[in-house]
Amino acid sequence: MTSKQKYIVDTTLRDGEQSPGMAFSVREKVTIAKSLDALGVTRIEAGTPAMGKEECRAFEKIKLACKKAQIIGWNRMSLSDIDQSIGCGADIIHVCVPASDLLIREKLRQSRSQVLETLSTCAAAIHTAKRELTIGLEDASRADWDFVVKLVETARDLGATTLRFSDTVGIMSPSLCKATISRIPPNIDIEVHMHNDLGMAVANSIQGLRCGAKYADSTLFGIGERAGNCNLEHLLIATQGQLDFGISLEELQWCQTDLKSIIYKSKLLYA
Amino acid sequence: MVTIIDRTLTTFNTAGMTTRDLNHFCDLLFTCGVTKIELTPDLVSRLGFPANACGLKQWLGNRNFFLTQLHPESLASGSPGMNEPKSLWKLEPNDLVQKNISVGQLDSYQHQKIRITGLEDLMTRDYPSIFKALLGSGAQTLDLCPSNQQHCATAIALEWVLAGGTSISCGFTNHHNFPPLEEVLMGLKLHLPHTFSGDLSVLSELRHLYEALAGQPVAKMKAIIGADIFKVESGIHVDGVLKNPRTYEPFNPQTVGNQREIVLGKHSGRKSLLYKLNDSDLSESMAIPS
Repeated sequence: MTSKQKYIVDTTLRDGEQSPGMAFSVREKVTIAKSLDALGVTRIEAGTPAMGKEECRAFEKIKLACKKAQIIGWNRMSLSDIDQSIGCGADIIHVCVPASDLLIREKLRQSRSQVLETLSTCAAAIHTAKRELTIGLEDASRADWDFVVKLVETARDLGATTLRFSDTVGIMSPSLCKATISRIPPNIDIEVHMHNDLGMAVANSIQGLRCGAKYADSTLFGIGERAGNCNLEHLLIATQGQLDFGISLEELQWCQTDLKSIIYKSKLLYA
Repeated sequence: MVTIIDRTLTTFNTAGMTTRDLNHFCDLLFTCGVTKIELTPDLVSRLGFPANACGLKQWLGNRNFFLTQLHPESLASGSPGMNEPKSLWKLEPNDLVQKNISVGQLDSYQHQKIRITGLEDLMTRDYPSIFKALLGSGAQTLDLCPSNQQHCATAIALEWVLAGGTSISCGFTNHHNFPPLEEVLMGLKLHLPHTFSGDLSVLSELRHLYEALAGQPVAKMKAIIGADIFKVESGIHVDGVLKNPRTYEPFNPQTVGNQREIVLGKHSGRKSLLYKLNDSDLSESMAIPS
């Protein structure tokens, strides 16, 4: 059987580093990014430039150090955040859009129409800077489906190349994931971003990919908020011979052996 | 209802386990929603069941047992009793025939009591059709204990129940290659609440006891039971959690006997710092150097 070609978006340096207690220096971030690039990771989410000068410095060095991977700058729906990402030289400017009413109401304290309006403004700034735009639907798994469809259509109309569907609190089941990803309107590349709160991030990512997603987000060792993100090594183990990410499992395992001391500085975190 | 079998105690060295710990471990498993606990003959002898139960042990030779709970109604109707807490427990033989099959080997199991193991690669296959074939195999009992070698056992177990399966075997945390019990239970609680009636708030206590008995720590970020899974550091998430914890929590930490904690670190924002100052009865001005 021919393996289907899929692609990895690695978010070790952004979502992964958000694990409580994790902190990478500029040099460590560059080391990790170079390893990911050499492994064949297609896109590296290198961080959030809006975090400050050190993050920007890391970002610029990563951009210079990586030969093939596209470098993503992660942003809230904020023009100043986006300016920082553009200034750091990110290839792709990712805009994270809260999609569930819970996040829109409780966190942003805004309305759906305000979200759509802000998103349009952000997209215009990114196009003016001639950068690739990708849009992420945060908490999409708990969002109202009609609004998800509206956001997907808006993303497409705004010229986003990729739509990230996030199971932000990791509550999906594989069958729900299949049903949901299959229903996403066409003509935009889909990326699945699964969290491991119920221990199903790998299975959910596989179902997303089998239902048409082109990209899966993952992290080294599965690090990330709470119970972590989709673990890249586990994803490769589970899809051997079925899906081809252009990454050798054996090389990844060697690479993780080398990077373990950087990622887990405290043995307590790993235990 | 779904039968949930826990196999944890069959998989690690229990030589040093006291009867008190064994009873406590079983108690906690039943409390969190386990229907049957699989035990080795050696463990059964340590539970202190009366002579007739020990006779059962001799009859079974080296095969394992299931420990189950008696329903209160059956106690009232005069079932043989033992001292508390074991008066609520009974033993029955594990009469499941274990079969490690691959997808291409599905067979007829007419009137048999079967436990299917293996099937670790189901997530990359057409598993709804495979489940349908299994459910139509004519088995009297069909228990599924998928291997976790491909890190998808929880998903397979949950999908099995969603497809109509009525029995699953698990093991606590992920040291056994069984579906992690705590993940399966939470999956059932969230996705099929009508099938679940356990109290998961004992999971934290169960983790502590497990770590002491097994002599190995559970990973801090282990799904459901990891000690650190409700620690929040990043500014964006702290902001959300302080406004409404539901924004970035899949369930209330207390559901699993844990609690949320705002921690300071590289990703902390101003709100985290202010929260911590407030929490320590310190004012903002004290944090700003003059």
